[in-house]
Amino acid sequence: MRRLGLAALAALAVVALALYPLEGTGYGVRVMLQLFMWIALAQSWNLISGLTGYVSFGHVAFYGMGAYSTAIVIVRLGWPWLPAALLGGAMAMVLALVIGWPCLRLKGPYFAIAMLGLNEVLRVAASYFEGLTGGGLGLSLPTLHASVPIYYAMGLTAAGVTLLTYVILTSRFGLRLMTIREDEVAAEAMGIDTHRYKLYAFLLSAVAPGIVGGLSARDQGYIEPISVFPLLMTITMIVMVLFGGKGTIWGPVLGAVLLFTFQELVWARFIYLHQLLFGAIIVTVVLLMPRGILGVLQQKYNLPRTI
Amino acid sequence: MPPILEVTNLTKRFGGVTAVNRVSLSLDAGRIYGLIGPNGSGKTTLFNCITGLVRRDAGEVRFKRRRIDGLKPHQVFHHGIGRTFQVIRVFPELTALENLMVVTTGDHARACRRAGELLRFVKIESLAGEYAGNLSYGQQKLLEFIRVLMTDPELILLDEPAAGVNRTLLNELLDAVRALRDRGKTILLVEHDMKVVMGLCETVFVLDHGEKLAEGPPGVIQSDERVIEAYFGR
Amino acid sequence: MNPFITPVMLGQVIISGLLAGSLYAMVALGLGLIFGVMRVLNIAHGPLLMLGAYVTFWLFSTVGLNPYLSLLVSMPLLYLLGMLLQRFLVRRVVDAPELSSLLLTFGVSIALVNVAQLAFTSDLRAVEYLTGSFVLGPFAFSKSRVIACAIAIAITVSAFLFLQKTRLGKAIRAVSQSREVAQVCGINVGRIHMIAFGLASALAAAGGSLVAVMVAIQPEMGQVYTFKSFLVIVLGGAGNYPGALLGGLLLGLIEQVSSLFLTTQVNEAVAYILLVLVLLVRPTGLLGGRAS
Ligand SMILES: Nc1ncnc2c1ncn2[C@@H]1O[C@H](COP(=O)(O)OP(=O)(O)O)[C@@H](O)[C@H]1O
Ligand SMILES: [Mg+2]
Repeated sequence: MRRLGLAALAALAVVALALYPLEGTGYGVRVMLQLFMWIALAQSWNLISGLTGYVSFGHVAFYGMGAYSTAIVIVRLGWPWLPAALLGGAMAMVLALVIGWPCLRLKGPYFAIAMLGLNEVLRVAASYFEGLTGGGLGLSLPTLHASVPIYYAMGLTAAGVTLLTYVILTSRFGLRLMTIREDEVAAEAMGIDTHRYKLYAFLLSAVAPGIVGGLSARDQGYIEPISVFPLLMTITMIVMVLFGGKGTIWGPVLGAVLLFTFQELVWARFIYLHQLLFGAIIVTVVLLMPRGILGVLQQKYNLPRTI
Repeated sequence: MPPILEVTNLTKRFGGVTAVNRVSLSLDAGRIYGLIGPNGSGKTTLFNCITGLVRRDAGEVRFKRRRIDGLKPHQVFHHGIGRTFQVIRVFPELTALENLMVVTTGDHARACRRAGELLRFVKIESLAGEYAGNLSYGQQKLLEFIRVLMTDPELILLDEPAAGVNRTLLNELLDAVRALRDRGKTILLVEHDMKVVMGLCETVFVLDHGEKLAEGPPGVIQSDERVIEAYFGR
Repeated sequence: MNPFITPVMLGQVIISGLLAGSLYAMVALGLGLIFGVMRVLNIAHGPLLMLGAYVTFWLFSTVGLNPYLSLLVSMPLLYLLGMLLQRFLVRRVVDAPELSSLLLTFGVSIALVNVAQLAFTSDLRAVEYLTGSFVLGPFAFSKSRVIACAIAIAITVSAFLFLQKTRLGKAIRAVSQSREVAQVCGINVGRIHMIAFGLASALAAAGGSLVAVMVAIQPEMGQVYTFKSFLVIVLGGAGNYPGALLGGLLLGLIEQVSSLFLTTQVNEAVAYILLVLVLLVRPTGLLGGRAS
């Protein structure tokens, strides 16, 4: 009965979100589109780091890769935005393969530092290959008013990763990913090819950031190295996941919604204190609720992970 | 019948310490073997070398005649060698059932059935849905033990299975080990309690300072001068 | 980029590299100390350096204090701040997984940057104190770099002597070897952690005060030092303090020598690429170190 109620509620939410662009203002659509983007990013980080415990501290690299791939094929080859964004997702996966194959052998803090470093390498590369990327000046995309279709594409991406998370979390594949987080040595000894599993998770976690990177490049119409590879963006996804509850399905969504709403409503008024406030939020989340909202509820009421 | 496991001149050094020094052993299928030796004599390291968790420095390991040294732990496992750890290593935030389910890649329904059987085998089926981290020490030990059995390995290495386990549980464990042997499995276990070793093992290997000191039936080993000295001398 | 590399140029960059490297070594020693002693990766290390630079700038522009003398203010000040950070925040993530310490120190880091923006605005600031160069045969070195190098060496050597010879220093090393053993030996680990964090911050502050004379000061200047310090401890081997020194010199050299061949922009990536390569090839550091 409760299940049915929840399902009905979810269906209602989906319908409302699907109809929103018909009624909403241009501004509202843009805001919602960004919220979808954050949900997709947070959910993706959760796939690799929430499940396997490997901290992808440069996850924004996939977003940046998607943004640049998309922008380049739109500007240089005149591709339409949708296939361009999908290509962004594919390129992000390629990047994940190239990075992940060697780096996922690194343990603990070393993996985190390597990811941090690689993101910086990409940022520099983006400004270096001027012929392709426009260098430090960035790339301007041809004008196009497509916020509404992009809204749907973002929404579908966010829903897609959430669904993917659900499928993974309820499968043995997902359980095996979690054994890596719980005790990697024991997982190996129990016959789990941990390196391969980590790599799969990493690849899956790169797709959506690649796609939303491409979509938001199209939506914003302009990208430059510092705007698509900021460490701050990685941190934001992580904090969203931690706040909502890592390793759960709805935790990243909840975290993204709450933090994003807070950002839109409160931060806009304290422009000069932005970073100080965000720093305080980070510290609070890390110290006071490392398990996140759903993590705490899950523990307290013995709920399944699939919340 | 050729030996199921053959270790030849296995050597492992950690910096200046030679944890395992030119150890050779040979195990026949369907028997229970004991591995004893003072703390720090290299028993766990020997297990780690066999199962691929640490890279050996020299020597060979053959399982059913195939070289397995140099393989990754998960590959060794799929050759048919399972192990438990001296310090319990269950997956705490997975349920007891999930701890078992992660092991095999085969058919889901079959795995489920097998997990159910094993939980009943050690009488903890009522705890299937409980997080492993919430189980008692003894229950975790049992869970770790049956986790190895999910794929029905031919050789099972048990690192101090009896440590910290109460009498009743211990007897259950020992019965289970015998039942496995009767089904043709080979078991190598590290154990300190000589009573347990006497009652269970057919052959015992003694390690001291990384070297194999003696090998033989437990009765003989127990009265071996060198063994007594290794344990009680100095 | 430059096809005409003469021996003199090479000599020049090697010496410049060592000059810069000694500074890196000093700053990274601080980061390495924190990682070694409490397994915390301190992203706020660079921003602490930035605060040191602002202390020097502020004293110089308000009371005209000699920037080198301002070390005597910036180091104790940051020592205190470091102790407080450890006492109230970092202490609580010492045994947590790396994610917690990375995030927490990142939070501290952006808060510090924001504070600097509020206090000093984002304008570029400079301490114009020492200009000109020492000329030695065919080589020329800016005076500020030579003096910074000399002071960095003096401070680093003192830090080493402190770690090697004094009771407190030995206690710090004991804690970084094994916290449990140290505890059993009656060492107050919490206090050692505070002191280590304070020392590390003071080393960062010294770096800040010294670079204040050489580069533009602005709130975001610190981050790059965090990265470089990571690289230095990776090069040297985590938990290996002499390794950090060699790592620092090595980084200085590599950066300077590669600047002969690469544009400034690409040169920036050299450090990062190196970081990743070293991690992949020798995660325990080029010079060996403690595996974790
Ligand atoms: N990972 C390791 N690094 C360094 N030394 C180790 C490591 N593992 C074991 N040793 C050393 O190897 C020796 C044998 O240890 P171990 O195999 O655990 O003995 P046992 O299991 O017989 O008690 C000990 O001296 C121990 O300190
Ligand atoms: Mg042992």
